Amino acid sequence: MSIDRLVYGYLAKEENYPDGANIIKEGGTGNWVYIILKGQAEVKKNTSRGVVTIETLKQGEIFGEMLFLQAAKRTRSASIIAKGPVQLGVLDSQQLLDDYASVSPQLKSLINSLITKLEEATNKAVTMISESKK
Amino acid sequence: MVNNMNTKGKANPTVRLQYKKGDLIIKQGDYGISIYKIIRGKVIIFNESENKEIHLGTLGPGNLIGEMRFLSDSTEVCSLSARAVENSELEVWHPATLAKEYELMPPVLKYMINQTLKRLIRMNKIISKLSIGKEQKKEQIKHVEPVTSKRSYYRKLLDQDCFYRPCNSSTNISLSGKVKDLSLNGLGLVADMNRSVNISYKPGKKFHFEMTLPNGKELVFIAQIVSVNKEKYPGSLFLGMAFVEMTAAVKKKLGFYLMP
Repeated sequence: MSIDRLVYGYLAKEENYPDGANIIKEGGTGNWVYIILKGQAEVKKNTSRGVVTIETLKQGEIFGEMLFLQAAKRTRSASIIAKGPVQLGVLDSQQLLDDYASVSPQLKSLINSLITKLEEATNKAVTMISESKK
Repeated sequence: MVNNMNTKGKANPTVRLQYKKGDLIIKQGDYGISIYKIIRGKVIIFNESENKEIHLGTLGPGNLIGEMRFLSDSTEVCSLSARAVENSELEVWHPATLAKEYELMPPVLKYMINQTLKRLIRMNKIISKLSIGKEQKKEQIKHVEPVTSKRSYYRKLLDQDCFYRPCNSSTNISLSGKVKDLSLNGLGLVADMNRSVNISYKPGKKFHFEMTLPNGKELVFIAQIVSVNKEKYPGSLFLGMAFVEMTAAVKKKLGFYLMP
């Protein structure tokens, strides 16, 4: 399925960011979910040894979903920085929430478990990356 | 194990299983499709390679096991093992009904979850790659350090006269040579070629040695040829020799001399 068809009806708006723009700030709030329509963005996390780049997101990749999918989470777990000019689609939170509400508790806890594991793995990976740099 | 049907969630009937401390829940290499939710107890996740268990994580009440496998729609064997480390109670979800529900989820949500899964797999790969790197670094340190310390500590260069004779001959044959280096295991000897025409210098041959160290201590021992080098000292033979017989008292003297 193409991205256009996938997010059809979910796109609340489009946003454009210049190179180096801080799209999501680690520790910040907000539960927008984004999809990259054009360009690339880097996922960065702060550590005691400085900022670590975890990975580069490409066209078609979604970010911001961790905070959306996990109700217990309150703040953004990583920063997203534009790598070159980026065109983003902002997904309609209300519609996503309505969809998510129809998911059974079992499937929800499954998704939750996945998010928790991703968060733990990311933290571990970030620690290891920063240690390997010293 | 005690089965106990729980029909509270009508759509997804679950079964609760009791595991005793030490029981294996999932075995690496087995086929398994169930998802487990830990109700009570503690479970460790581990990887088995070369008969060693590599500990990957500890899970407790509320945590799930097997959901990644479910979401990745994998038909491969289990990549990890899980074992109860306390008496534990697990709820087993049969994935059939869940799979149906997952299929019917709005595509955007499915896409989102799929991306989360891929990201988690990527992170786990980074972790194992960096863990292996760490292990290798440790190994390198393990292998390199003793060698360098051995060289600086155990092998001492010198230029000392010595007298030696083949072990199988009478005591009145005495040859002279130069000891070029000494270690706790052996010595480097430049053999006297003028008087030793009839002497066989082949690896395995044993010689009786007498020498005086630069600090005045006398050493007597038997050493065996390990290597023969003609190039090192033109016109002479350079013999790499290993000690085969040495008294504790001589070893002590040698040890003192070799201390940096």
